[in-house]
Amino acid sequence: MTVSSPETSRWQAYAELPFFRLVRLFTGRVFHGGGEPEAEELDLGLGAALALLALPGSFISLLLFDKYGSLLRLMRGQTNFDVYAAAVPDEYFFIVFSMVVTAAIVTWRWDSIFPDRRDYANLVPLPLPMRQIFLANLTAVLLLTAVFAVDLNAGSAVLFPIVVSASQETFLFFGQFALVHALTIILASVFSCLAVFAIVGVLLSVLPYMAFRRISLYVRGLILTFLLATLSTSFAVPGALRGAGKSAGLIRCLPSVWFLGLFQWLRGRASPAEIHAAKLALAGLGAALALALIGYAVSYRRCFIKIPETVDITTRNARRLPRVGALFDRVVLRDSPERACYHFVLSTLLRSERHSIVVAAFAGLGVVVASEMLVTAFTRGFNRGGTPSAEVLSVPLILCYCLLVGLRLVFQMPAELRANWIFRLLLDPGKPPGRTVARKIMLSFVLPIAGIALPVYVAYWGWLVGFLHSGIVIVWSWLLIETLLLYFRKIPFTCSYPSFEHNAIVSVLIYLLGFYAFALLTAKAEAETLAFPAVGILLLPAPMVGWWILRGLRRDTPEIDQQLMFEEHPTTGFELLSLNE
Amino acid sequence: MLEAKGLTKRYASIPAVEDLSFQLLTGQVLGCLGPNGSGKSTTVKMLTGLLEPSRGEVLFRGRNIQDDLVGYRKCLGYVPEEPNLYPYLSGLEYLEMVATLRGMSRAKLDHKIDELLSLFSLHPHRHASIASYSKGMRQRILLIASIVDNPDLLIFDEPLSGLDVTSALVFRHLIKALGEHGKAVFYCSHVLEVVEKVCSHLLILRKGAVLAYAPAAELQRETGKSSLEHSFVHLMEEGDATKITNDIVEVMSAP
Repeated sequence: MTVSSPETSRWQAYAELPFFRLVRLFTGRVFHGGGEPEAEELDLGLGAALALLALPGSFISLLLFDKYGSLLRLMRGQTNFDVYAAAVPDEYFFIVFSMVVTAAIVTWRWDSIFPDRRDYANLVPLPLPMRQIFLANLTAVLLLTAVFAVDLNAGSAVLFPIVVSASQETFLFFGQFALVHALTIILASVFSCLAVFAIVGVLLSVLPYMAFRRISLYVRGLILTFLLATLSTSFAVPGALRGAGKSAGLIRCLPSVWFLGLFQWLRGRASPAEIHAAKLALAGLGAALALALIGYAVSYRRCFIKIPETVDITTRNARRLPRVGALFDRVVLRDSPERACYHFVLSTLLRSERHSIVVAAFAGLGVVVASEMLVTAFTRGFNRGGTPSAEVLSVPLILCYCLLVGLRLVFQMPAELRANWIFRLLLDPGKPPGRTVARKIMLSFVLPIAGIALPVYVAYWGWLVGFLHSGIVIVWSWLLIETLLLYFRKIPFTCSYPSFEHNAIVSVLIYLLGFYAFALLTAKAEAETLAFPAVGILLLPAPMVGWWILRGLRRDTPEIDQQLMFEEHPTTGFELLSLNE
Repeated sequence: MLEAKGLTKRYASIPAVEDLSFQLLTGQVLGCLGPNGSGKSTTVKMLTGLLEPSRGEVLFRGRNIQDDLVGYRKCLGYVPEEPNLYPYLSGLEYLEMVATLRGMSRAKLDHKIDELLSLFSLHPHRHASIASYSKGMRQRILLIASIVDNPDLLIFDEPLSGLDVTSALVFRHLIKALGEHGKAVFYCSHVLEVVEKVCSHLLILRKGAVLAYAPAAELQRETGKSSLEHSFVHLMEEGDATKITNDIVEVMSAP
């Protein structure tokens, strides 16, 4: 028998108050999706989500032991080591990391955070004052901000100071460093979280609700691209800050640089520019908080309270270019099921926000990496009219790789799973159009890249380079598509989520190696071929061997593994609870 | 046209439907009734081929539907219980997708969909996303999707839910007209008045087994009741509805 203490009972009584129930409702759905049966949200659960968030910071901190360990430095002969100066680039990385991850989470889940039509339908008829719903949601937002900021940085807040102070003899150094580091990265996280809220709040306050819904996807895409660009340039920024001139001045406008200034200021080692940046960080934090609160309050009044007055209608114009569409259907899409599935998949990709965001994130990643390659190529000299460098050649390959991998991943994400009955009913499981449709969708994204690349390469390096490179991009992309779709037997978006595979880390490593082979190695080999054509003879059989292997693998796939599937784990009509056991 | 022979479905040895047999002839409208959990949905899923029976078979024109499921479904129009549609597609796009999946030609589907959308009062909303549709509008989209390819067999699972009075009235007449035009209709519903008015034959299920299967008039005669509602209550042998109602009010108003 359990006896509850008066404190516990009092706490339980508090927890049962309507306000706290509402706070729990609003916070819970960020982790648990919509909570509807068969909902296609990825339901991680609170514990798993928080643990996953805390992992990367801890892992990165541990990797830095190599840099700060005194024994290792001694073995390398590094006797003159300024730990303060050495920690600045790593500190900058942690600031950027905490800001990027927090902002990405808020961008990803902002629909679940703000009260919507469903909340209106469920909560407003209850005897609850509107003010209480508003305050509960606001409390949930602030609570989540605090939880994310602390959880995300908890690992690095402890481990990074331990790593940095490994060669220091005083505990005071560790204590001071840990305090300043923790404060900086948590404030950076809070800032980025509030900044995204402020953007959403201001847009919702200024724009009509339907206009906001329409541009929401583009705003998210822009934010994600900015975050990716900040993360991918984090290694170069501390070095660039040391330089003078216009570029250093521009870099100082980055919020992440403000927080680096705050870190230096709190440690008492700040230059005048860093003190200025620290002041900007504090002012920015205050401004983000004020804007987020005002924006939230105004948007709540404008949007939530007026939900019944707004009709959620998205009217599109009638089909454009029907003749071109019909011609495309006739020439490219062979039969009726293929035609229907192709249009369904394309519509889902373009209109479902969750799916578009994932594809946009991969495309953004591709753009960022490709831009870095282009910048490197420019700094080394463009060599117009001569032989293009591997960096220049890698640009369309990087874009194609990122897009194709993103598309393959997004095909696994279900959209309105309960609506897939129409495909179950009307498609022949023995002749699934899934792989063909997926292939054609992927080609629809990749071919325009090759199409754009062709005139650019022709203009800069001539016909031979232009056609050779576009050809290589198409052939390589086709081989990659065939590899990615080797065991694919679904109509994209109509199958339940695959379970978290035990070999997920191996898959990530394979994709990274794939990126190296597909984009970087190919570009290098192509550059070599252009410089020394004899190398090309050795490279020619590569795609043929690839095609031959894929053909063999497909031929050996048993027929049962080629049948159309709609469920990763077939569900039974009902479940035995075995209560008597 | 359609025949169920000893249909049985078990989930982990628990029977959901047990030894169900009936025939649905051309021009017949067979109403399927039963309380919640009686096996109606499982029966419908087996009839549409979405669920494979544990025992027994479904014959369409004398052939087991599992032998040529694709061919069978070409002749089948189906309205499921829940209007699960893709909310980001417009009504027109959804219907075009279904018609294309059914193999209809572009010219034919354009014309038919346009006409049906007008007749079901959805033409002005055809380009709006389904997310903005009311339940009744979604139901009408499903109804159009089920009849657009002129199938010989129609299976309707609670097709009237959410429909406004006019649409429900139109649909009621439509079911009758479909029967008169030689279609076979399997009609599942809880609305006894409608079943009484449109169905020529009745199949009543209880706990997965057939409680009654007969022409509607014959069933009423046999039970000796004046309406289908009374016959149904009599057959179900469930508690007196008036007594249950009074008990509910009593519990509700208790301090």
